[in-house]
Amino acid sequence: MDKVTSAVRLPKDRSIRKGKWIGARVERVEDPRFLTGAAKFVADLELPRMLHAVFVRSPHAHARIISIDKSILPGLGETTFVFTGEDMRDVPPLIDVVTLETLLKTPQHSLALGKVRFAGEAVAVVTHTDRYVAEDLAELLGGGIEYEILEPVANVAAAGKAEAELLHPDIGTNEVYRETETHGDVEGAFEAADQTFSLHFHHNRYEAAPMETRGVLANYERPDSQLTVWSSTQMPHFLGSIIAGKLSLSNQRVRVIAPEVGGGFGQKMCTSPEEIVIPWVALQLGRPVRWIEDRREHLLSATHAKEQFVNLEVAVKTDGKILGIKGEFIGDGGGYSFNTESALIEPALAAKAFPGPYRLETYQETVAASLTNKSPAAAYRGVGWTACNAAREIVIDEVARGLGIDPADMRRINMLNADELPYKSITGQIYDSGSYKESLDKALEAIEYPMFRAEQKRLREKGRYLGVGISSYVEQTAWGSDSSAQAGTPLPSHDNSTVTMDPGGKVTIGTSVSGHGQGHETSLAQVAADGLGIDIADVRVLHGDTLTSPYGLGTYASRSAVIGGATVARASADVREQVLRVAGRMFEVSPEDLLIEDGIISVAGAPSLSKTMAEVAFAAYWDGSLRDDEPGESHQPLLSSTRFYDPPATYSNGCVVVLTEVDTDTGVVRLDRIVVVEDCGTVINPMIVDGQVHGAIMQGIGGALLEHLIYDEDGQPLTTTYMDYLVPTAMGMPNMEVHHLETPSPFSIGGIKGMGEGGQVAAPAAVANAVADALAPFGARITHFPLSPDNILRMIGKIE
Amino acid sequence: MATAKHAVEFIVNGEPADTLVEARRTLADVLREDLDLTGTKLGCEHGVCGACTVIVDGRATRSCLMFAVQADGCEITTVEGLDVEGKLDFVQRAFTENHGLQCGFCTPGVLMSVHSFLKDNPNPTEEEIRIELSGNICRCTGYQNIVKSIAAAAASR
Amino acid sequence: MKPAPFAYHAPNTIDEALAILGSDPDRSRLLAGGQSLVPMLNLRLANFDHLIDINRISGLNHVRIDGDRLAIGALARQYDVARNDVVQKRLPVLSRALANVGHTAISNRGTIVGSLCHADPAAELPAVLLAVGGELSVQGTSGMRNIHADDFFDTSFTTALDANEIAVEVRFELATGTTGWSVEEIARRHGDFALVGVVIQMTLEGALIGDVRIALFGVAPRPQRMSTAEKQLIGKTLDDTVLDQAVANVTASLNPPQDIHATAGYRRHVAGVLVRRGLLRASEDAKLRT
Repeated sequence: MDKVTSAVRLPKDRSIRKGKWIGARVERVEDPRFLTGAAKFVADLELPRMLHAVFVRSPHAHARIISIDKSILPGLGETTFVFTGEDMRDVPPLIDVVTLETLLKTPQHSLALGKVRFAGEAVAVVTHTDRYVAEDLAELLGGGIEYEILEPVANVAAAGKAEAELLHPDIGTNEVYRETETHGDVEGAFEAADQTFSLHFHHNRYEAAPMETRGVLANYERPDSQLTVWSSTQMPHFLGSIIAGKLSLSNQRVRVIAPEVGGGFGQKMCTSPEEIVIPWVALQLGRPVRWIEDRREHLLSATHAKEQFVNLEVAVKTDGKILGIKGEFIGDGGGYSFNTESALIEPALAAKAFPGPYRLETYQETVAASLTNKSPAAAYRGVGWTACNAAREIVIDEVARGLGIDPADMRRINMLNADELPYKSITGQIYDSGSYKESLDKALEAIEYPMFRAEQKRLREKGRYLGVGISSYVEQTAWGSDSSAQAGTPLPSHDNSTVTMDPGGKVTIGTSVSGHGQGHETSLAQVAADGLGIDIADVRVLHGDTLTSPYGLGTYASRSAVIGGATVARASADVREQVLRVAGRMFEVSPEDLLIEDGIISVAGAPSLSKTMAEVAFAAYWDGSLRDDEPGESHQPLLSSTRFYDPPATYSNGCVVVLTEVDTDTGVVRLDRIVVVEDCGTVINPMIVDGQVHGAIMQGIGGALLEHLIYDEDGQPLTTTYMDYLVPTAMGMPNMEVHHLETPSPFSIGGIKGMGEGGQVAAPAAVANAVADALAPFGARITHFPLSPDNILRMIGKIE
Repeated sequence: MATAKHAVEFIVNGEPADTLVEARRTLADVLREDLDLTGTKLGCEHGVCGACTVIVDGRATRSCLMFAVQADGCEITTVEGLDVEGKLDFVQRAFTENHGLQCGFCTPGVLMSVHSFLKDNPNPTEEEIRIELSGNICRCTGYQNIVKSIAAAAASR
Repeated sequence: MKPAPFAYHAPNTIDEALAILGSDPDRSRLLAGGQSLVPMLNLRLANFDHLIDINRISGLNHVRIDGDRLAIGALARQYDVARNDVVQKRLPVLSRALANVGHTAISNRGTIVGSLCHADPAAELPAVLLAVGGELSVQGTSGMRNIHADDFFDTSFTTALDANEIAVEVRFELATGTTGWSVEEIARRHGDFALVGVVIQMTLEGALIGDVRIALFGVAPRPQRMSTAEKQLIGKTLDDTVLDQAVANVTASLNPPQDIHATAGYRRHVAGVLVRRGLLRASEDAKLRT
């Protein structure tokens, strides 16, 4: 075992049983309830005596709260209840849990206490039995709040000025982190370079914008001291622990349920302050309270993402070999270094993932994060990695153009070969396996690259500007302790699945991964079906409820196939063993001589000696003569098993290629073709994998062309409705051609790797490179997103 | 008077329904809350996302942009009116066969828009499908499989 | 986002509607399609004490030829008008413009007259009316009056309608002769409001331009006729010099707004591009009708 692999702690046997289900395009078992409107999201849930909660939010970006006059509300204390940050002052604030010594912390009270730090920050909550009236009351209360306006800190540049107002005066600065790490002889590399290139890239601020906004329903039943919280969350157990901690309840008495969740994309991972306020209000009032975020509120106050300044300097030889890179990654963290992963979530993850599929062993990374008066930045699909991929792939193309080298060749010259993996990158990321050159080649083959170049040349002579953009990516997945440490924000991890077969031979799984559109009820059923030799129709997967699912960290960062898959496979294998032990006694043969296929257990070589799974299961439960313990002894529960997994990091990879035509008179970018080559190791359900790729690519395109959260110099948000915050629609998307390579992970159980973020990581760069390639005759440089028509005409000098 | 209640009657999914509503309550809210038909979803409440689309007197309609009082006397179909005792209709079938949904939140609005669209245009081209579908926002699927599902639904007829 | 309270009225006749409107015109609003009004109410960007729903009034959803006019009633829905045979035959520019206006569910309820009265500076229909010519028939307590297209649009979201008047019909001029049209616009996404757009009506006399009307939208608080450019085009053929001159006239006269979607410079430059494209297309379109 090589040095790299030996550094990774792995179970000896990492195989899982694969039969007819894993790898099959199976229709999703969860579909019918969504298609018939029966699926219940938190806004669809109602409880008797329920109150509606509406938040009053600060209209100012930066201000001290002077007074909130509750007395102006009619029916106060009777038909309406109001709570402010003062009322909640004894509730511990939310805080990030990243263990980096020099990272300054910015505790966030769930309702603003004393001061507000972004327009949209919640300062009070109002309740009423009628949501419409609650909004009337919130408007009334809001009109009477006195603020002392402070100088806003509109952006990172403003945050660093000596005279800048401090968002958190206690920490004495607006920059919560700045560290530099140097790997290898960086200065030497720059001295030895034939040429150096630099890029200053501003990646735009945008957000997940799931179709379902956030929402929390909380009910406190005083007789049982039982708090039940329904939240549109990706991490029900973790949320339960946080709520219990903040509200001084025992975790045992806090049940969190993620009902159907209408998209999360990472935004519903961290704890929203509202997820603390609403349960707290329920505790005060002893009756159900429900808050449903509306879209304007969402654009204002749900966490934002992606905004970074990436400053690169690249030292190269004329033959295209990259000698070294200096990178500075500065995150715009917003008003608070947000809970769980902090403001480093963007820049730290970007810095550590920057090398990507390339052999980069001389690298200086500076990671910094600043506070500004904007909604806080937190996770969103491709977190940190989108910005680093964009900057890196854009600068690679610029270097290629500068040196007169084909951009595909430029990549090949610097790329790692498949046989160099497992490989530990200079930033400590252990790439388990991959197909970097192979996916690049496959993508270029799909678009018939040489023919495209010829066509491009021909049409350029006619004044038409076509372009091709390449974006190669490595995607970190399977977020557990290893992944988070390798990513730059070390966090512990814990996950389980329980597999139980009932007396009828049917299987119920409780899993700690928490699906919100990914089809886990199907894919995990596929794993169990193969593990047990039964039909997926006989497997039911439960998730999202802390009462019926074992403890774990939920779903985000492409972890569920790896973790859910492994825990379900392992637990299924245990149950299979139990079944065969019982069946062996029924047939009086050794379990090794038994086969299971399509729910029938038979003796190898004697197919007439068979029993159905239902028969064996029934016997396991009820036939005392088949038990293996001494009479009177309590015995192990039969036909059930719970298995844990904290996986090693696994790395998927791929290549996105985009073909575009740019109208240089109007700046309109038309995407003609998108080709994606995706390698995520062993695939459970290719239909689901393709769906994830499609969605991720679309979100990446959204960020590159349309989506932008804009603030003015006073910290006032300008994109507060869907009229101004533009998300892609079906007209903006060409067909996506998805190809697959399958390089299993040598590390994970089953060789499964995570996937789902690659498209969002890589697509913006592919679009940018296609545009830059199309506009190369104008010397256009991509320095920021989105690539609006205005931006395009500016880039080619048609407007100033 | 602003908070006066109005009696409204409509036929929803073939069944008569009546309720007493303040004028400002949207059709979406009244369907969801007064009639417990929570299949219709609210994604933006300003008419852009299409999640609230229902069929009113034969036409696809943004139920967040219509007050319930305006629908007095109308015939309304919501997503709950599509399946027949749990048996999926041809559009729903096409969607599950072609993985046309992921989180499912935009799905009811899409299904109603599709029903209305295919009635007027039973054999659409892909471009026509994309133009029509651009009135419904989805964040999960990238639209690809939704387009495929709609084409399959049209072809299945 | 729920609207503030309002009193709701659903009159059955125009006179009833006018009576209710007259009692508190500044705090009342007419509700037709609602596709522009209700979002504003939901967002609490606007509120009114009285909402007067005119959808129950009969006799307002016609689309018909009336002499040299195409008359469209206040309740004719955008979806229906776009597909109407008469419209497609006699005023195809209206169908073409409607293709960009919004999505099916919006156009199922949205009305032509409603869009004109809403007077969004970036909307297509006001520019169509301005380019094609015509008038709005308006009813008030003192009777009917017509407001000519040129006098109708005042500034952003403001028209010449008094608060106590109801627009009951729009009458588009029907061009005679060899006439063609074009609608060009740039929007961030299909169906969005335009960053900048142009509607052109051109009548040819042989190979020469006999009459041309160029209406820009998205470049000012109201749609604008490019009268200088128009005058210079009469009697000319569309060669490069003539087009360049038209573009120069247009861009020199503009003082477009700046917003988060586009700068003034963008709108000015692209207005010129679209005018050039639009003139060529309108000319081609006219030739098809020879």
